[in-house]
Order: sequence, then C-alpha cells, then structure tokens
Amino acid sequence: MLKSSYQQSVLRSNLFVVWNELVKNIKSLLAYPAILVFWAVFPIFWFIPFILQGQAFVGGLESASFAQITGSGEYVPFIVIGAVLNSYVNTLLYGMGENIRREAYQGTLDYVLAAPCNKAYVLIGKALSESLSSTIFAASQLTISVLLFGMNLTLGVMLPVFFIVILLMLGLYGMSLILAALSLMYKQSYDLSQTIGYVFYIFAPVRYPVESLPTWAQIFGKLIPLTYALIIVRSFMLLGTNFSAVYFEVLALLIIDIVLLLAGFYLFSWMEEKTKKSGTISHH
Amino acid sequence: MNKNNKEHRLREVKCPTGFNWSNLKAELKAVWESNIKDWKIDFAYPVSFIRQLISPLVFLLPFLIYGLALVGGRYSPNLKQLVGTDDVVAFIFTGYIMMGFIGTAVWAMGFSIRRERWFGTLEAIYVTPSSRLGQVLGMALHSTVHQILGTIIQFIVIYLTFGLALKIEGILPALGIFALMMLALYGFGIVISALGLILKEGWVVSDSLYSIMMILSPVAYPLAVLPTVAQQASYLFPTAPALIGMRSFLIENYQPEVVGNVFLHLLALGAAWILFGIVVFRVTDVYVRKRGMLKKF
Repeated sequence: MLKSSYQQSVLRSNLFVVWNELVKNIKSLLAYPAILVFWAVFPIFWFIPFILQGQAFVGGLESASFAQITGSGEYVPFIVIGAVLNSYVNTLLYGMGENIRREAYQGTLDYVLAAPCNKAYVLIGKALSESLSSTIFAASQLTISVLLFGMNLTLGVMLPVFFIVILLMLGLYGMSLILAALSLMYKQSYDLSQTIGYVFYIFAPVRYPVESLPTWAQIFGKLIPLTYALIIVRSFMLLGTNFSAVYFEVLALLIIDIVLLLAGFYLFSWMEEKTKKSGTISHH
Repeated sequence: MNKNNKEHRLREVKCPTGFNWSNLKAELKAVWESNIKDWKIDFAYPVSFIRQLISPLVFLLPFLIYGLALVGGRYSPNLKQLVGTDDVVAFIFTGYIMMGFIGTAVWAMGFSIRRERWFGTLEAIYVTPSSRLGQVLGMALHSTVHQILGTIIQFIVIYLTFGLALKIEGILPALGIFALMMLALYGFGIVISALGLILKEGWVVSDSLYSIMMILSPVAYPLAVLPTVAQQASYLFPTAPALIGMRSFLIENYQPEVVGNVFLHLLALGAAWILFGIVVFRVTDVYVRKRGMLKKF
C-alpha cells in the first residue's frame, strides 16, 4: 500500500516535470510572436519556386513523367506534402539540440540537470513542446496550401496520416536525442544537425520521388525515417491506398524509430554522466 | 576637466574626417582587416567551413533533380516555348549560381552586426575610429569570396555530372553584369544589417525577405510564369535583370523575357540601393546609440 502511494507520487512528480517543461517552452515561443508567424507561414514560400518551376517546365499542373514514377502526375500536392512533413525535420531535428544548447546559453542548463528528477522526463517535456509547435505549424501550412492551391483533402485520410506523423516524430526524437547528447559533449552540434539536414534534403523524397535518384543514393535514402513517412502519406493522400498497401514501409519506419530512440536515450544518459564528471556542463 | 587642459587634449582621440586619400586608405585597411578577421574565424572551424563550401551545391541539386524528374529528361519543350532554350540543366544552373550571392547580401552582411553583438565585440568595434559601414563591407568581402569558392565547386560538379553547354564568349559580359548586381545587393545587405541593429529577432525579417526575393527572381523558372504584379515587383531587385542578362550572354538561343538595357537597369538599381542602404544605416545607427540599445539582444 505504502509502495503504491510512493509510486503514485513519483509518477505525479514526473508528469509535473513534463508538464512544466512543456509550458515553459510554449511560453518561450509565445514571447516571440514574429517567430510564431514565421514558422506558420513562411515555409510555404520555400516551396512556391518548385511549383512555379513545374509550371514552366511542363506547362500545366500534371507531369506525365511524375505519373510514371509515382502513380500520380499532380506535382503540386506532391510538393506540398513533402514540404509540410519536412517542416517537422526543421523544427524537431534542430529544435531539440538547440533547446539544450539554449539552456546552456541562458545559464539554466546546470539547474535543469541538477534538478532531483529523471532527465528523461525533461527531455520528454521538450520533445512534446517541439511536437506541439511543429504540428501547429504543419497544420497552418497545410491549411494555407489547401486554400492557395485548391488541393482536395478528405478528413477520413487524416487519421492514418496523423498516425504516420507520430511515427515520424518518434524517429526524429531519436535523432534529436543523439544530437542533444553530442551538443552536451561537443557544444557545437549545429554543424552536425545542419549536415544531417543536407542529407535529408537530398536523399529523402521531399521534392522528387526517391526513384529519381541513382541506385546508391536510393539505398542511402531508405535509411532515413522521413523517406518512409513521405511514401506512406503520399500513398494515402494522393493514391487513396490503405495500410495493407504500405505495410512494409510502416514496418520499416517502426524499426528505424526503435533503433534511433534506443540509441538516443542511451547516448544522452552516457554523455550526461560524462559531462557531469568532467564539469563542462555549462561550457558553451 | 578644463578642455584646454593638456591632459584632456592627450586623452582626445582625433577621428579622421573628410574624404581624402589618407582617410580612404585607412578605411580600406579597416575593410581588409575585417575581412581577414572573418577568414580567421572560418578557419578556426574547419567542419563548418567545408559545410558552407558545399552548401551551394546541396541547395542546387533538389532544383535540378526535381526539374529532370518533372520533364523526364534534360530538355523541356515548354521551356523552349517560353525562353527559346530547352536545356533544363543550363537554365537552372545559370539561375541558381546567383542565389548564393543573395544569401551573401541577406545573411552575411545582414548578420555581420548581429554576430558581433552575440560575440560581445560590437561595442568595441563601435568605438574604433573608423566607419561602421567599413566593418559591414569587410564581412561582405569575405562572404563574397567564400561564395565564389562554393560556386566554383558547384560548377565543377555540375559540369562533370551533366556537362554544361555555355557560351564561352559570354563569360566576360556576364561577369560585368554580376559585378553590377553585387553592387546593388550590397546596398540591400546594408539595409538588412541596419535592421539587425534594431530588431531583436532580425533573422525573421532576413529570412522573410530572402524567401520573397527567391520567388521574385527567375532562378528556376522564367519571369513569364509569375503573375503580372510579381513580375513588375521583381524589377525593383537586381536579381531579375541580372539573371535575364547573364542567361542571354551564356545560353545559346535564349530569348530575354524583357527588353531594355540590363547594364543601365542594374546601374540605376545599384545606385538607388546603395544610397538607400547608407541612409537607413546612418539613421538606425544614430537612433540605436541615442537609445543605448547597442548591447541589447
């Protein structure tokens, strides 16, 4: 009985940590409304050139070559879906590593890491706040795109899409945990996260089908969780397929998520111990 | 303390004023030293240096691969109808090499002041007896050379992978156009660096302006696909006339979308942007110092 009430208290405390970390990050985001508007609207401007390029090169809204490769010749929804899912990469991948780094800059990292709680819950709070903001930004971009480019969206397809987005976020959490761990140890993880961003930008099918790449690059692209998420979501939204048609991709995404999350948590705990011992936590 | 006092006079710093050869030499030295300082910082972070060198190529590749996937090959009949050439690779490459230089103006120049503030060296730079614009121009010189190196790598990789059919005799006039475009872009960059003095989150403005300029510039598509209002707005920025001018010198059979003297257009834009930039920078500089906002971020 005593043990059970103790466990309940620990659970409550941990949830309290998660909740407060979430609230702190959201407050910090709301303190800069210009940034909020920027991420909700401006990523659309980054893919408009691709849509204009399509109009110039094929003279309409459909490409026969695209249809041969992807099953759908409509390149506008292809680009929009790619850009919206890629916005999760921009916010989650850079956000988590930078979040830890920001604590160091603001001089609060020492206090966060010295707090008598499991650091995993601090990270879960950070991850949840990044997910929440990413989803708000993605929803805003998708809504503007639907209004601007006249895309057809059925609500029925949004539930499985949301499930895949959660799977994508889990994989990105794993990667960002690895980056956060490296940020603790080597401080300048910015270059590493930018380089990973470059890899995603070229090898994942954000702007073009993965089949357009050379074979070696396709193999490389298939190690990236975003590749599977894009293939699955486009199948749902553009081709109207269901889970049975893409079960292999869903399974592959799940496996990548598990590997990345395990590696991320292990690496973060290891680096945290190491930096505590070396006394370099607050260095930046 | 009495101003005629000898001790007071010894503590006075005589700032060079007026436009003469000696002052110009001193300012150019300050520009050069600012440029050298940035190269030293660059070389202190070799991974970052290499990443930035290959980034022009990384950002070009999606435009190329997407273009090839859309057309299903290298030649687009629709592009031929619009501008007279059907070579997708040459069209995108000649457009995209310019985009990096817009980044130079917006990011490197615009953020030169902001970066000094982060490093905690802005106040020290501000009290040196030299023009503040000299600091910005020094950083612009560094990033222009840096971007040129990245563009050379970009050119070599694209040439070896796809092969490029460009007119050799057009390179010299194209370089002239490039120089004029850079002049106007420097003016634009000075405006952005002034914004960096007053805005806490200046990167939002810089990135927004960069995104708008990217759409208004015919980098991966001809101006003809833009709505009329956007086409007219694009003439206010140097990239549209520069890209059209450079393509007409470099690409065989290219038919320029606009008629008129590109050189004169760019000269006028350059003068206007530089003048506007200097005025905005001066006003902002005085405002920020009067308000004591120099150290705030």
